[in-house]
Amino acid sequence: MSTQYPLPQTVEVEKIQRAKPKIKWLEPFLLLAPAGVWLILLLVLPTLIIFQLSLVPGIRPGDIVNPGGITDYNQFLDFQNWHKIWKALVTNYNRILDPIYLQVIRRSFSFALGTTAICLILAFPVAYWIAQLVPQRWRNFVLIAFVLPLWTSSLLRSYAWITILRPTGLLNTILNSFGLPTLNILNQNAAVYIGMTYSALPYMVLILYASLEKLDKRQLEAAADLGANPVQVFYKATLPQVITGVAASSFLVFITTLGDFVNPELLGGASSMTGARLIYNQFLGATQNWGFGSALSMTLIMIVSIAIALLIKFGEAAPKR
Amino acid sequence: MNRRNLIRALLSLSGLSLAGCGWKLGNVRANATTSEQRDQLYLYTWTQYADDKELLKTFTAQTGIKLFADLYESNDMMQAKIQAGGGGAYSVIYPSDYVVQKMVEKGLLNEIKHNLLVGVDNLFPQFQNPPYDPNNRYSIPFTWGTTGFIYNSEIITTPPDDWEYLWKNREKLNQKMTLLNDTREVFGGTLKMLGYSYNSKNESEIKQAYEKLKELKSSLAGFDTDAWRNKILAGDLLLAMCYSSDAIKLTKENPKLQYAIPKSGTSLWTDTLAILKSAPNPTGAYAWINYLLQPEVSAQLTKRQSLATPNRAAFEQLPKHIQTKPTLFPKEEVLAKCERLSPIGEAEEMYERYWTQLTSA
Repeated sequence: MSTQYPLPQTVEVEKIQRAKPKIKWLEPFLLLAPAGVWLILLLVLPTLIIFQLSLVPGIRPGDIVNPGGITDYNQFLDFQNWHKIWKALVTNYNRILDPIYLQVIRRSFSFALGTTAICLILAFPVAYWIAQLVPQRWRNFVLIAFVLPLWTSSLLRSYAWITILRPTGLLNTILNSFGLPTLNILNQNAAVYIGMTYSALPYMVLILYASLEKLDKRQLEAAADLGANPVQVFYKATLPQVITGVAASSFLVFITTLGDFVNPELLGGASSMTGARLIYNQFLGATQNWGFGSALSMTLIMIVSIAIALLIKFGEAAPKR
Repeated sequence: MNRRNLIRALLSLSGLSLAGCGWKLGNVRANATTSEQRDQLYLYTWTQYADDKELLKTFTAQTGIKLFADLYESNDMMQAKIQAGGGGAYSVIYPSDYVVQKMVEKGLLNEIKHNLLVGVDNLFPQFQNPPYDPNNRYSIPFTWGTTGFIYNSEIITTPPDDWEYLWKNREKLNQKMTLLNDTREVFGGTLKMLGYSYNSKNESEIKQAYEKLKELKSSLAGFDTDAWRNKILAGDLLLAMCYSSDAIKLTKENPKLQYAIPKSGTSLWTDTLAILKSAPNPTGAYAWINYLLQPEVSAQLTKRQSLATPNRAAFEQLPKHIQTKPTLFPKEEVLAKCERLSPIGEAEEMYERYWTQLTSA
């Protein structure tokens, strides 16, 4: 049969086959180019510039950027200059170790960790309920209801909490009408936790839902049949299956709340300065120390990067069965 | 390709070369004036100064120049944006007195061509040759005022007449008062209470002020420059440290609120009109400044927005009850105790450190 085909066609087939590897080589580049250009221009480059600024102690807008006194790339070849750059780096980054600034960073951490913990406790039962107990036909509806708050501006959502928590606000009006005393939580750390938790909760629920949806119930039944009590079933059968989802959502919430500016700013009080505000003050405040601000930013970026690295490690670990 | 070129090529590949070394952080470029830009004027101004829509409308009707206003709520923020090169669109800015000094030092402002202006001689003598800008070389005063307290006079029956009031009544005002979110003003007021200068550069004095503020902090609802407005109207706050320009307008709308000037002295500020070096539309800028220098316009602004006019001809047009309003136009002996904020140079770092310590502890 094959002999009946005229020769030119086979040549064409060969051509296509020969051309294919070229396209294959190009394919990933073409696919990644739009996002890649975007990322390089708007994420990688700015980060590199911030890093460069962090090497110039006390730089303010209007100054010349010369890390360690270097004005030209040729000077990079001289190792004497590397020493100067190192000294400049140490000057900026050492300032972060000042107990005052460490305290600010510690506060950012405790806000982020606390919010993650509260979110986890609140979101897990909800996600479990949506994924396992809500009838199939209602499931999407319930999910949308949970994601609905994300359709409005995050600033607006934080602002709404002011009207709820303020001394003459909704919460206290209700409390007072029952004869209960006024709760003064606005402008306290408690309000910041509430605001942050509220902001991050939908994301937590979504990710936990995605992982709980795939929960293999037969394993839970098997565990129960083999005599495990409900607590043991949870720890030995449920949790190992969803631990990746728990880790992923926790890290996401931690990372987003670590750099949160809006909630501490609007809901916090006289002593809730966080890392984000500290950085803001360095750039737009009176001192305008962009060098120190950049060093703080790089430190925050490093912390988040470490968190993401941990996430990847945990995310890839096969769940124990 | 030798080693040097290779390294350079690698560096440029890494994208670093786009930033390079020895570049200037923030490049303020003068824009070429095109016909399109000549009929629009961008202002960069304080939040409340663009409130008066009638003022803007009349100007556009008279000159055909369309006005656009961007807002800022602190001098620092405005300065950072201009210096970082983000101010290319603006022709007129509204820096406060000591900021004019700072911006002149950095070469950001154009000298005012006084031959293009009409009515500068209408200004009160002290505004024709202000200490921060002799002979108005770089700026024209727009309005002036003080820093003080706005308070709810229904509940606070004895007026907060001095800084000490906050410390003495801090139990009563617990979580019901705010201070400005401004390092210099907050420290300045406390320094004044301790009998020092608003512009102290002395570390031990600043430290004492810090200790005082630390005592007060647990009673504060926060440091707010703008957000106190809604809270005091709703009754969540009883007292807020604020600028007179913000306060007096509010007291007019809501008679239970009152404004008080600390009697041991406070900061006296002038907000000015200045033209940026990079201004894309200087002609429009002069038209705008000339417009605001007209006594009628300035008087209207005082009547409608409760902004104290620095213009004598405008002042004379005001009705008696506004002229004698002690909060808007304080008496000489009150003003004599006040101080202008002045640039403090290196001491800025020290203030910042104590401020961070205060707001983070």
